[in-house]
Amino acid sequence: MTLFAQFFLTGIVTGCFLILATIGFSFTRRVEGFLNIAHAELLGVSAFTTWALNKPLGWHILPSALVAIVLTAFVGLIIGRVVYDPIRKFGPSVMLITSVGVAYVIGGTVDALIGTGIRTLDIPLASSIRFLGLRITNYQLLVVVLAVVACASLALFLNKSRTGLAIRAISANPELAASRGIDVRKTSRATWLISSGMAGIAGVMLGVIATLSTDIAFHQILYILAVAILAGLGSLYAVILSGLIVGIAMDVSVFWIPAGYRPLIAFAVVILVLLVRPQGLAGSASSK
Amino acid sequence: MLMSTLMFGAMFSVLTISLNLQYARGGMINFGTVAYFAAGAYAYAIFTQEPPSGLDQYAFGLNAPWWVGFIAAGLAAMIFALVTGWPTLRLRGEYLALTTFAFAEVLHSVLLNERRIGNGSVGMANVERPDPTVLGLDDTLVYTLAACALMLATAWIFRRLLASPYGRLVDATRDDEIAAEAVGKNTARVRLQIFVISAIPIGLAGALYAMITTLVAPALFTAEVTFFVWIALALGGERTIIGAILGTMALVFFQEAVRMIPFETVRSAQIAASVEEVITGILFIIVLRWQPWDRLSRKAQS
Repeated sequence: MTLFAQFFLTGIVTGCFLILATIGFSFTRRVEGFLNIAHAELLGVSAFTTWALNKPLGWHILPSALVAIVLTAFVGLIIGRVVYDPIRKFGPSVMLITSVGVAYVIGGTVDALIGTGIRTLDIPLASSIRFLGLRITNYQLLVVVLAVVACASLALFLNKSRTGLAIRAISANPELAASRGIDVRKTSRATWLISSGMAGIAGVMLGVIATLSTDIAFHQILYILAVAILAGLGSLYAVILSGLIVGIAMDVSVFWIPAGYRPLIAFAVVILVLLVRPQGLAGSASSK
Repeated sequence: MLMSTLMFGAMFSVLTISLNLQYARGGMINFGTVAYFAAGAYAYAIFTQEPPSGLDQYAFGLNAPWWVGFIAAGLAAMIFALVTGWPTLRLRGEYLALTTFAFAEVLHSVLLNERRIGNGSVGMANVERPDPTVLGLDDTLVYTLAACALMLATAWIFRRLLASPYGRLVDATRDDEIAAEAVGKNTARVRLQIFVISAIPIGLAGALYAMITTLVAPALFTAEVTFFVWIALALGGERTIIGAILGTMALVFFQEAVRMIPFETVRSAQIAASVEEVITGILFIIVLRWQPWDRLSRKAQS
């Protein structure tokens, strides 16, 4: 029973990481209206920038992480401007396929600069906290805290700030919002900065809780897609719920099924849900 | 190099042509092309492989002649398309894209973990294949011809199919589903038919791929294959069969050319591979942004 509870707890941590990784993706989908396959590669940009500053240059982990997150946010902004803005008129399918090309470009660049092999950050070893016979490491706890803080601040931002309200207006009805005098370019800029910044945070955490290899970013897209489809490509709260469902399902299933099947479990959950609810857990109609 | 470009180009063109049918004519985004390709390759290997012995972990090897394996490959891809298409084709656009992607990942994971199917990550090596050297022919030449034959046959059959009244039904289903339904056409069935029909040549190409490489292993059937075919399709312009073929040939030629460059160190070869990836990506973005081929063909028509 304790073992089961331990798997469940690990599942919550996995779920929180998935939420961090998916929030930005889902936010882009909602505001810009397409699936950005290249989102996962931004995690890699952030993780390897952190590593490059922390290991070869010997910076402390905190400034390294901050610089990496800011840099990733701007990389996302520039890509949004240069690549996606001009093709918005072709519709979400072309943007989706283009983002595969963007993923190649980012992934290839990171590969060329970093090279293969396994890397770790220069941080203190994880110390574990025990309670009720369960264990959680301080880094796992950090993932949970960051996920909560990120979700809460994003929710606050969307509900309270002017830019946040503008973003919501645009995601609901772009033409109406534009005709009411909302600055579309400014909100689009904010969207790219926020969603890429979120990818940056997730990327740093990837480096903290796992060892890094250059193909790690690509593997994340599988989980991001699973969580996002399950959430119905929609609201923040659905992402939180489906992140936890997928995370817990993946880790608890280890109880019965070999761990090699973890990615399969994520997709099995998604396919099962889609068969019953073609629009995901809380989805609105697909845009095409 | 030209020979291997033609061989792999023709083989992958079969995939591009099929994808062209699904996407440009059927209006379905299939992001799991590799799954049908893998289904074909594995079916071929399982049917022709000798029964397991020694350290082999796969459960079945039927030791059948190559043509039985070839037919089995087409059937396997068809059955897999039926199984995956039937529940999912009511999903639209990006939901369908993601679900087909999910199916491909599930298949990949099963092949990797279920050693009884295809020996797990090791895969099945020394896949049986017809040996043309017995007849005194060069095997690269024969396989190139076989790939071209499969490509031409696929192109010809799809062309005939779409030129017939059935082709208009397909277009109608894509463009205005409600209108097609209103005149009594079962659009769900048409979509499933297109999906299944276009999966068969993908499976056959998978069998051919297994013969050429004489190896099936999960590492050969990753999402990269799917993306590769999509990039080729975008390169060639999505409207025509000729475009699909030319796009694939161009992309394969480019990759073979990079592979020909001799490298001094492992690191420089790695960098070259990464740069190849970057250039492929940039090409892709540029083509989708300006769509020069599309515009050229439209100009030629008017």
